[in-house]
Amino acid sequence: MTADASTKAPELDVPTAAPVFAHASEAEMARILDFYAVRWEYEPRTFPILWNLDGAVVESFSPDFYLPELDLYLEMTTLKQRLVRKKNRKLRRLRGLYPDIRIKLFYARDFRAIMLKYGRLALADSLSGTLGQVPSERLQADAPLPLPITPPAPVVRPATGEPRRRRPRTAQEAYVDR
Amino acid sequence: MRTPTDLMADIGEVLLDEDRIQARIRELGAQISADYAGRRITLVSVLKGSLPFMADLMRSITLPLRIDLMEVSSYGGATTESSGLVRILKDLSTSIEGEEVLICEDIIDTGLTLNYLIRYLKGKRPTSLRICTLLDKPARRLVEIPVDYTGFTIPDQFVVGYGLDYDELYRNLRFVGVLKPEVYAAPE
Repeated sequence: MTADASTKAPELDVPTAAPVFAHASEAEMARILDFYAVRWEYEPRTFPILWNLDGAVVESFSPDFYLPELDLYLEMTTLKQRLVRKKNRKLRRLRGLYPDIRIKLFYARDFRAIMLKYGRLALADSLSGTLGQVPSERLQADAPLPLPITPPAPVVRPATGEPRRRRPRTAQEAYVDR
Repeated sequence: MRTPTDLMADIGEVLLDEDRIQARIRELGAQISADYAGRRITLVSVLKGSLPFMADLMRSITLPLRIDLMEVSSYGGATTESSGLVRILKDLSTSIEGEEVLICEDIIDTGLTLNYLIRYLKGKRPTSLRICTLLDKPARRLVEIPVDYTGFTIPDQFVVGYGLDYDELYRNLRFVGVLKPEVYAAPE
């Protein structure tokens, strides 16, 4: 084989239809995953994590990304570290109820660190501490920065099977952490 | 771009000094030599950061070996804007089909680059494909990659030196150090 400068990456099969993102950090992460040819789905699944005594779901958790080839969910937050307690609690509950689910919480410090690595620290700093979910300011993955505000659009959710979950065993457990 | 006049002044802490690095590389070389005894291996260095590591590692291995170099574009770099997809900037110069390949990495953190490289190199049908990294930063791993040889597992800090750069500088330091935050937070 001979040296082949600037060979285009093979085996790339990245999403073509960009979903709308709730936060610019998610759009940036989608671009990074696309860059490295890692398949992803955006908020493909919602996990109920709390039910009332009637069995109705009162709290749920939709991880930002699912990486099917890695069987890994990825949740991102740009909130400052001291403000992520609620998200950590939801994550603990998710892990308790769905022990087979692999999920990683990507904190603001993690996002900042990879942005530093990629020379995009200014972007990370501009997003740090902002709210993680801003439905009225949904952002597109392929839009140039600064990302424009786009009208809300339905998120494509692939028809996937209901995840296996463990229902609360007692009413007390159902109300825990409320 | 800020050009430091004194590289050492930008280092907040020496994480791994030269002696420690060299001692560990000798251990890795001995282990690799034992594991591959009687076989020939091909070391593949992932440019640019792993160059010093491979230069020292290859001299610690007692087996017959070949070396080759690869370079892939990094997200956010000047070469990424046109397509938004990773590109092979420097491909292997010789075939690795039927070869025992050992990838030499400077550091693994998210694992995204290495994950891509593994997929790419597997397509070239080597007999075996293993990973050797000087530094492993597991705290931020996204892609779980089985690493066969690890020099050091390091904490979640931004490190430079011994091939590792910030803005293409600090690679020539003989140790691995933690860059002072004010260096990368400095105004343009």
